[in-house]
Amino acid sequence: MSQEELDRVSDMLAGPLPFKNPNWHRKKKYKPARQLINDEQKRINSKENRTFDEVNYFTVQAPPSLKPRKTYCDITGLPTSYRAPHSQIRFYNMEVYEVVKNMASGVDQQYLGLRGANVVLR
Amino acid sequence: MPGSEKELPPQKVYPLRDVPVPSHVAPFHSDYTPGVPIAIDFGKTNMRIGLVNKDSPTSIFPTVVSKSRDRKRNKMLILAGNDVYLEASNNKSNVKSPFDGQLITNWDSVETLLDYGFSHIGVSSSNGVENPIIVNESLATPYMQRAGMYQLLFEAYNAPKVVSGVDAVFAYHYNTNSPNGLVIGTGHESTNVIPIVDGNAVLTYARRLDWGGNTAAQWLNSNISLKYPYFPSKISPQNAEYLVKDHCYVSTDYQKEILDYLTLESLEEKDRVIEAPFVEVVKPQKTEEELQIEAEKRKESGRRLQEQARKQREEKLLQKEKEYEYYSALRAQLEAGPRRDVLNSLVSEGFEDVEDFTKYLSGLEKSLKKARRQNALTGDGGEEETEEPPSFPLIDVPDEQLDEDQIKEKRRQKLLKANMDARLKLKQEKEAAKLEELRKQEEDKKWRETDLKGWIKARRDRLTAILQSKKERKKRKEELSNRKSRTAQQRMKKIASLAADNNGKGDNNRKRRGGAVTIDNDPNDTFGANDDDWAIYRAISAGDDEEAEEEEEQELLEIEEALLEFDPTFTIEDTYKRQYDWRSSIVHRFLRGPRPYDPEEQHQAHQIHLNVERIRVPEVLFQPSIAGVDQAGIAELCEDTVLRRLPSMTGFSGDQQQELLQNVFISGGLSYFENFEERLRREFQSFLPVDSDVVIRRVSDPNKDAWKGMAKWSSTQGAQTSYLTRGEYLEMGVDYIKENAMGCVKL
Repeated sequence: MSQEELDRVSDMLAGPLPFKNPNWHRKKKYKPARQLINDEQKRINSKENRTFDEVNYFTVQAPPSLKPRKTYCDITGLPTSYRAPHSQIRFYNMEVYEVVKNMASGVDQQYLGLRGANVVLR
Repeated sequence: MPGSEKELPPQKVYPLRDVPVPSHVAPFHSDYTPGVPIAIDFGKTNMRIGLVNKDSPTSIFPTVVSKSRDRKRNKMLILAGNDVYLEASNNKSNVKSPFDGQLITNWDSVETLLDYGFSHIGVSSSNGVENPIIVNESLATPYMQRAGMYQLLFEAYNAPKVVSGVDAVFAYHYNTNSPNGLVIGTGHESTNVIPIVDGNAVLTYARRLDWGGNTAAQWLNSNISLKYPYFPSKISPQNAEYLVKDHCYVSTDYQKEILDYLTLESLEEKDRVIEAPFVEVVKPQKTEEELQIEAEKRKESGRRLQEQARKQREEKLLQKEKEYEYYSALRAQLEAGPRRDVLNSLVSEGFEDVEDFTKYLSGLEKSLKKARRQNALTGDGGEEETEEPPSFPLIDVPDEQLDEDQIKEKRRQKLLKANMDARLKLKQEKEAAKLEELRKQEEDKKWRETDLKGWIKARRDRLTAILQSKKERKKRKEELSNRKSRTAQQRMKKIASLAADNNGKGDNNRKRRGGAVTIDNDPNDTFGANDDDWAIYRAISAGDDEEAEEEEEQELLEIEEALLEFDPTFTIEDTYKRQYDWRSSIVHRFLRGPRPYDPEEQHQAHQIHLNVERIRVPEVLFQPSIAGVDQAGIAELCEDTVLRRLPSMTGFSGDQQQELLQNVFISGGLSYFENFEERLRREFQSFLPVDSDVVIRRVSDPNKDAWKGMAKWSSTQGAQTSYLTRGEYLEMGVDYIKENAMGCVKL
């Protein structure tokens, strides 16, 4: 690798390119994804003559599952139906329960967070 | 069994992969033709760009941009694609994707990437790219996303006309000419299930699952960091991506496979060891010879010290002897010669009087004797002085017959004799105990030989009792740690009542005796008179009776040893230790695989084991609830699409459904997962009538097929009519978009 080569590519990207409109300047400011989605929702809500089969970012979203959820051990991932009463963490057997019992505070929430079951304080 | 551990062969170790550093900057191509459409697959992982008259995209590079300032040269360095990994000083944190989740947020980066792409395929026209452009967009993308892309292409690059579509549909189009089918497009952040009817992508019935390659990698990474919280090196997002790509596979029957995943046999086959790079610290190993030389040196210096000490002693002895000689001569003079002269000379020597002198002399004599004896002892290599059994002649003589010195001596002898007697007694007791032990062993042996069953039963009963008490002790300990538990409360009650007892007594006494009584001399306090009194301390102890625990441990080991030797049904597997062996620990097998773990070993400390995760991560596509995504899995989405949504569509016939089932395609990065088609086929069979025919295929090249589909489609009639021209755009904007078969719809 040579620094010159990199510099050349970098300069090319920075400088004016022949195939680009020299008068082009982007005016849009940066928006985070969350805001983009909000904007889209607003745009759709303000639309006139909407149809029931219209397609947009939200209609293609997969619906929640209608099948019974299977439960798995939060630590090892094995199927289980046991749940620790104090932390709601699912565990596979007594040995794993020992781990759950002796978990440092906060770690249980991290485990729950892996399956979106953690408590989020707002 | 320690023997069998050595027989285990070492596991194969995979390196933790990272993005390879390219050897040179990406090449520029020069075979540009104006007017030929340019297809751009603007993927979230990789971007492919090329003129459609080629077989495959001219330029493929990761969708990343890095902007950093070289402080030394005060120069802004803008890099894109693979080149970002070339810059050695480039911090990985500078490398950024224009996407935030599923959406483009950084349009500057998009522009840089397009600049980079166009110049790499050799666009040489001036004042605009003089080619029609086909670009992809995500499924039912938000309006502003599409508008942003069209704006860039029309206004910054002056494109004559632009058309867009969904990449998965393009990939489907490349792989089959069949008008009816179903495509499952796996992506970076999402996975789409899109039915294709009469050659058109039906977006009304298409569904997007918010789970893709990048989310999977992130999820795996957080799983690993919880699994190994103290892992010494950081696992980067790129590392995690490679872990998913290299080690994960779709399980054909998840519920069944996961059940035995952590058994030793299964782990032997499926456990993957991944080692992070690290600098090994090599401790200098000393050779046998060096060790010997060192030991020799130590011995030598010890010997020298001993020698020195001996010499010093000898010198002192010599001096003392001389002194003794001189003073004994003086004494002889004292006894013989005129007293005055000698007395004078004594005083000049520093003595007060004759008595002082004799005392000093006798002391000297004694020390001399002692020194001589010691010298003889060490000098002759520790030859033991055979001491006769001491006699105590004075003990039995009554005091009246003795003078003062003799009484003193008698007292000394008495003491010595008592000591000796005590020692003797102890010795005898020890011997007796030994005999008793032997007798017991003999008895035990007899019992064993005559009634093996009874003997074993007694041993086993005792074993269970010990295990039980161990358990109870543990339980008590646990309960005591909880202040509200019954055990802890009882303990506090006991302590309180003890304290109350003492207080009552103390108060009474103080009244009677005017406060002179302390806890040490209270005549009413009879605590300790009865040995059982001390048990109260055991009752209120906080549960760590180490002595008793050790005793039990010892007995347990002894019994187990005996049982192992004589009980044919008691095997090594039944021992207490073995129950806590790594083999029987599911947590160990999960964390460390089918091998023992040595945290001191540097390689093992830098290794992670992927086992359950290998199938768990891809399984999220089928059961999103595993990762907390509240959506239906792809199998359920397919089921709904095929069995419920599509049949409700007007003009959808059974024949079309049959054809659709013959053309199910999986495209995108995750389609590389092993067994993906097989698993999906099983899922389809589970919801279809028994003998339905279903064909599931992976697209021929998940990396390039979307681009190839664009190229293929560009020459069709459908493409020609669905371009949005620059004139139309300038006049009416993106709203005037023409819907097409490739999944581009009015939003």
